[in-house]
Amino acid sequence: MESNWAAEHLQVIRTLMERAAVYRRALAPVMLLTGVVGLVAAVAGCFFQIDSPRAFVGYWIGVSVIPLAGAVFLVRRQSLKDGDPFWTPPMRRVTLALLPPVAAGFIGSVILLIHLRGLDANAADVLGRLWLPLGWIVLYGCALHAAGFFMPRGMKLFGWIFVLGGCGLFALGIPDLPRATYTHGVMGLFFGGLHLAYGVYLYFTEKNET
Amino acid sequence: MNPEPFLQLDRVIHEKGRLAIMSMLAATTELSFTEMRDTLNMTDGNLTAHIRTLQESGYVSVTKAFQGGRPLTTYTLTAQGKKAFAAYINLLEQIVQQTRKTQ
Repeated sequence: MESNWAAEHLQVIRTLMERAAVYRRALAPVMLLTGVVGLVAAVAGCFFQIDSPRAFVGYWIGVSVIPLAGAVFLVRRQSLKDGDPFWTPPMRRVTLALLPPVAAGFIGSVILLIHLRGLDANAADVLGRLWLPLGWIVLYGCALHAAGFFMPRGMKLFGWIFVLGGCGLFALGIPDLPRATYTHGVMGLFFGGLHLAYGVYLYFTEKNET
Repeated sequence: MNPEPFLQLDRVIHEKGRLAIMSMLAATTELSFTEMRDTLNMTDGNLTAHIRTLQESGYVSVTKAFQGGRPLTTYTLTAQGKKAFAAYINLLEQIVQQTRKTQ
């Protein structure tokens, strides 16, 4: 009985410490925004036939700025509304966890962008259609998984879906589809569709919780 | 069973509400009033009263600032608070181990 009492106290302390260290701000709106931007950008990419590898890299790097800026705005707005500091310790942990894979993706893309100029059409096609979008997806999955250690509600699983999905598409190779349709389709599926689905899930489950 | 560890438990921390506040602050460098109130489901008055007790014991320090023209109050554990919390956890673990041995 005595042991139960003390053990329960320790369990409560552990739970509260975990809860305090977890990032939980504006997750659903950020996911919904990223999903909508991803889908619109994919459709626009297909429609405008942005299919040269260099244009593809530049286009998606440019697109990524929109949800990034939107996320900062949404998080800042919520922190002001709640009267909380913007740069909280959980926020710092999540940012630091996201940073290495995101930086690797960005630096790798810039290097690729420079080297694509000297490559023959076939090599550029493989790099631009297969390695680049799928590399982004896998690295993004790694970033989500790392951040998931400081976030609630299935973020690690969401990261795994990106990692495994990206690797699966690597294994399948380049399908017999027009370049723009495949590359933008893949980007739209992962960065648009999956984010949108996860955002909807978060939105309704958060509502139920409250 | 040796009752000594139980008698040594810090009565300031041992109260349910204050233990929750100390646990949250031990996990992070600082927390705002609203974050703590919302996570712990406490009323403003209840949280203020507990924090005042912890502050008077020297376990919690309070920082008042302004963010976007609105007051922002954040709380951190002091060095004394961290030490007291660690000692409290050690005692709880001792109690658990001691009771397991006697069972």
